[in-house]
Amino acid sequence: MSARYGMVIDLDRCTGCGSCMVACASENNVPALPHATARTGITPMLVRRVSNGHEGVQRREAFIPILCMHCEEETPCVHVCPQQAVEVDAATGIVMQMPQRCLGCRYCMTACPYHARYFNWSDPKWPKGMETTLNPGVATRMRGVVEKCNLCHARLHSAQEKAAAAGKREIDPADYVPACVEACPTAAIQFGNLADANDPVTRESRSPNTFRLLAKIGTEPKIYYKSKEAWVRALAEPNSAATGTLSASSSASLEAHHG
Amino acid sequence: MKFSRRDLLVWSAGAAAGLALTPVPWKLLDDTSIWSQNWPWIPQPAHGPVDVKLSSCTLCPNGCGLRVRMANGSPVGIAGMASHPLTRGALCPLAFGAHQLNWHPLRLRSVRHRGSESSFEEAHAAFGKACAEGPVVVIDGYPGRAASAVLESFTAKKGEYRVVRGAESRALASYEKWSGVPAAALGYDIENARTILSFGAPLLDGWGIPGRFTRRWAESAGNADPNVRLIQVEPSLSRTAARAWQWIAIRPGSDAAVAGGIARVLVEEKLVATRGPMPPMTLTDVAARTGLEANAIRELARAMVGQTPAVAIASDYNPSVAALNVVLGAVGTRGGIVLRSKAVRSADSTDAAFASARAVLIDSSVPWEFVPETNAEVFRFAAWDGGSSKADWLLPAPGFLEELSDIPTAPTAGVETYAIAPALAKPPHTTHSAWQFLVAVDPSLDTPEKIIHSRCAELFRNRRGTLHASEEMPLAKIASPEKLEEQLSQGAIWVGEPQRSNSFRCELKEWPAEAGYSIQFGFPAAWSPPVLPLLASKLYEESNLRGTTEGRTA
Repeated sequence: MSARYGMVIDLDRCTGCGSCMVACASENNVPALPHATARTGITPMLVRRVSNGHEGVQRREAFIPILCMHCEEETPCVHVCPQQAVEVDAATGIVMQMPQRCLGCRYCMTACPYHARYFNWSDPKWPKGMETTLNPGVATRMRGVVEKCNLCHARLHSAQEKAAAAGKREIDPADYVPACVEACPTAAIQFGNLADANDPVTRESRSPNTFRLLAKIGTEPKIYYKSKEAWVRALAEPNSAATGTLSASSSASLEAHHG
Repeated sequence: MKFSRRDLLVWSAGAAAGLALTPVPWKLLDDTSIWSQNWPWIPQPAHGPVDVKLSSCTLCPNGCGLRVRMANGSPVGIAGMASHPLTRGALCPLAFGAHQLNWHPLRLRSVRHRGSESSFEEAHAAFGKACAEGPVVVIDGYPGRAASAVLESFTAKKGEYRVVRGAESRALASYEKWSGVPAAALGYDIENARTILSFGAPLLDGWGIPGRFTRRWAESAGNADPNVRLIQVEPSLSRTAARAWQWIAIRPGSDAAVAGGIARVLVEEKLVATRGPMPPMTLTDVAARTGLEANAIRELARAMVGQTPAVAIASDYNPSVAALNVVLGAVGTRGGIVLRSKAVRSADSTDAAFASARAVLIDSSVPWEFVPETNAEVFRFAAWDGGSSKADWLLPAPGFLEELSDIPTAPTAGVETYAIAPALAKPPHTTHSAWQFLVAVDPSLDTPEKIIHSRCAELFRNRRGTLHASEEMPLAKIASPEKLEEQLSQGAIWVGEPQRSNSFRCELKEWPAEAGYSIQFGFPAAWSPPVLPLLASKLYEESNLRGTTEGRTA
């Protein structure tokens, strides 16, 4: 594997503004379907508001962006897909979703421990004229398929084309930055190659306050989180004295663990 | 051989089982799902030449730097401009979906007169008649633009020009009263402040130029003792309070009392060198009013001087917070309230401007919520219909990046800036700006294009400041005014020189008795369209991250 793309998200810097969500949806031509809900909408990047469970002046809140964790080992969605519509790209470590192959059985949604997959319930539609604003680098997906974050794969293609045109085999890291990373106004989301020991993201992923969600199930997610706040890190401790709650639109709670 | 009913059932079951072992049913199932999913009417992205243009956002007075991806001549994506000296590549979340705003279902597509379809010709006739019969008041939302100069020139002959000021501008109004310097010439030297006491101002949630403070805050946000301490005084746990270095929960409406209490401690304990008026309330009174303990107020005052420069920022007009800054010595000093420009005149209030008006013309930059209390005929320009309009005439205006505009200094900026946002998209139907409407009535008026030429020529003559494009360049190195305008039209930003720190002073003899406003901010504070980008409303609804009704229609 020549690259293992991943992220370190500094939760102390995340202000929950939602720029990453809007930039992601815009980049990937996610339709703004009317009357979609938390269960029927498509939010490849979803920021959740979490609290320490206290009320009044003792209450503290933080924001956790949740996206596909791009699991590296025993990737649950890959295992259950009957159509080979999901695969881990050996060259990049990106968990790829191929809508052309997807049957819409949603096994992968059930298998995903992070609830980071979304079903396309409706034909993609935009108000009249708005289709001229779609990103030409990303095709619209059809009804009846599952969608997820693919780390802005179209941007990786562009970077690869640029490198190839220049006669290079390796891309310039500055040419491949996912939309959410580019949009974050506080630089809370850092993106890089975890296979490169000198990459700042690799170094950051090993810092003491870093953790991964559900690391204990051994799927080796490549999205790391970081916080200096003990109560935020405690959210990732399933057996701790549970000071925190994940209050999100979904009733599902995420169990997490130190990486 | 007799073929019984039982044989038929056995044969059918066997055939079904046999078929299930072949790929046929699964292939048919797969193909059916694919056939029923792909229809010719499902939109596909337009293909064509792809390009990137640099510009500035025109949806609020902050004018953040934009990198606009264009395909086939239409904007298809927005990102921040990393070379922008104030935003440093950051944008508010709404900007990322702003390129879709022009196709929003609530886009105003035709002229409406009291609910019925009408035309620009009829509107012109009605406005011309009104101008002949009496004075006209023209209301502007983003003063200082070239288009604003056209509106103002028109009223010089036929009426009055008024500005609707946003909360961020109103927060600076007290300094105007005490110094005589127009609030529009003042700003915050956020870049150099090391302790910021925010009275409900959403510093991390769209206050001022989004990105200007958040970028700086983020640099040390993970540290236990950050380089910039943000103390948020607010009744509820807002986004800014959630991420602040310290959140001080107070009773609603007691901001002025907290400011007074801190000022009293600063003076009593001689924590500041400057002399200011002593607030009338005792610390016990302040504690009873705010719900804070007296010791907590003392600690807060000490925290203000523990890491200097320190400045207090109000969310809206609040003379007590401004007075606290005077006591703190944060007025006219580095890291505080600074004078950024000398060439700005005071904007008149809209109060009592409408009494004798025959017509009121409202520019599309004025927030939809602004409704003048008048019996005059109201001509309202807007790109989007926010509903429940009380205007007699609703006139479709150009939308996002559909017309040339210049971007003057943002209300909270600490230095002067100037940029140009060229027209990058074509309006899908006939639109007119307020200035175009007025030029049709009075053809002797200059156009914004001509005013922008003269402003570039003036900047060139002054030879001050720096031009920030792909690289920084002193203005003195630019060859001609035409070259300057060309660079500005291609996304460069001119940044002026900081004024001398002691060039602005406030005289405050007694503690202000006026309470000011204490508002809970909806998001976004300065966003002027009455609608949000569809993607933003969708995602906020689906994530429960924000209510889409926080200030604007979804």
